Amino acid sequence: MKDRRWIALCAIGLIVLATLNLPDAASSRVKGAVRDGISPLQAALRGGVRDLREIIRYIRGIGDLALENRALSEELVYLRGEMRIARELERDNRMLRDLLGFVQRFPNQLVSCEVIGRDSTGWWQTVRLDKGAEAGVAEGRAVITPDGLIGRTVAVSGRTADVLLLSDPTCQVSVRLARSGVLGIMQGLGAGPGEQPACRMDYMARTADVQQGDEVVTSGMGGLFPKGLLVGRVARVETDPSGLYQRAWIDIAADLGRAEYAFVAATEADLAAAAKGLIEELTGPSPGTIGGEAP
Amino acid sequence: MTLLSLLFWLLAGGTLQVLMPAWRHMGQPSFPFVLGVVLYAAMAKKPRYFVAMALLGGILEDSLSLAPLGFSTCAFLVSGGLAVLLRADFFAHKATTVSVFGALCASVSTGVMAALLHARGLVTLTLGGTAWRMAGSAVLGAILVPVLFGLMRGLERRLGVGEEAA
Repeated sequence: MKDRRWIALCAIGLIVLATLNLPDAASSRVKGAVRDGISPLQAALRGGVRDLREIIRYIRGIGDLALENRALSEELVYLRGEMRIARELERDNRMLRDLLGFVQRFPNQLVSCEVIGRDSTGWWQTVRLDKGAEAGVAEGRAVITPDGLIGRTVAVSGRTADVLLLSDPTCQVSVRLARSGVLGIMQGLGAGPGEQPACRMDYMARTADVQQGDEVVTSGMGGLFPKGLLVGRVARVETDPSGLYQRAWIDIAADLGRAEYAFVAATEADLAAAAKGLIEELTGPSPGTIGGEAP
Repeated sequence: MTLLSLLFWLLAGGTLQVLMPAWRHMGQPSFPFVLGVVLYAAMAKKPRYFVAMALLGGILEDSLSLAPLGFSTCAFLVSGGLAVLLRADFFAHKATTVSVFGALCASVSTGVMAALLHARGLVTLTLGGTAWRMAGSAVLGAILVPVLFGLMRGLERRLGVGEEAA
């Protein structure tokens, strides 16, 4: 009996060790499969939560109305309900027009995505999108909203992509001040209790022209983010502890916590690769590639 | 049937955990839905179910975050193992006991995870920050785990799955 327990413990230990030491490719394949498997459930549940929120908002509206005007007729309630729906539709319409205009303005190819989840452990500041490699999303691409940059893709599976937000301490972006052209590195600082997530721009020369309210945009250096994407505005400036540089706290332009839709700036090559994959999936691999060898 | 019911809760827990944003206060801990399912298996089921849930739950949680595969499994095995060791001394059906248990195990799980992530250089942590986060996890564990236990027990009663503690 004691032997069996030891054997079981050793087996568990071996499984854990094997999992910990899986090669990167195998590990990301397992993670991708799990993510893709759970993403429809996530998307459905998120849609349900959104519908429920709308219903509660609607019911609360009727409740307030009843308290304020008990004498109002049923017809009036109905008409107000109709009006509210019309207003919702108008708002949606305006938002979609804005998004469409944004897509037409932007020079890169954009893949529109819906935010379906957040980091499940709380160790990182990430969000999950409902599109992945199958839609042309690749790792290391800029993710933007009409308000500005929100982060970059870090883990992409077939049908989902994880976005490391600007506010994550491991996220660094090369940025520039739009007014004076001063360059710097922006790093996430996380979010304090009940606060909006914050970022800080470091390594600006002590004499550099930095003012509160300056617009911060991506510099395009490093090749990861396209040049000129709006990131935020300078909230305050101070000299760093060494006294050699200035640093500035940045208010991020996009609302990182409430983004529901986002766009991944895909390159032409990403979209071509996705289209090729889709064609291969539909028609089967080309004869020359069977067995992994060229003819 | 027991395994199916646990798998259902694991999937539901994983999905809910992703939908609920991390608690912004007390070090940003996440709501421990998956850990709750692992603890239930550790407290109320045979050890083999606990091990299966710790392995699968760990893979699920790591897949839904940026953590390397296997880290959460280690954290779940340690905290669940603690539950297995202590369960004989606790009255597992009492909400207050389960609450204390949930707080202890959530805190231990966060501590193990913090140590692993820090050792691999994936996150930068301070001792004070980690302790604060462990305290936050304990608060969430104390609230969430008894509720989750009640729901899981309720479903099992409806399905006619008996208690199987070894």
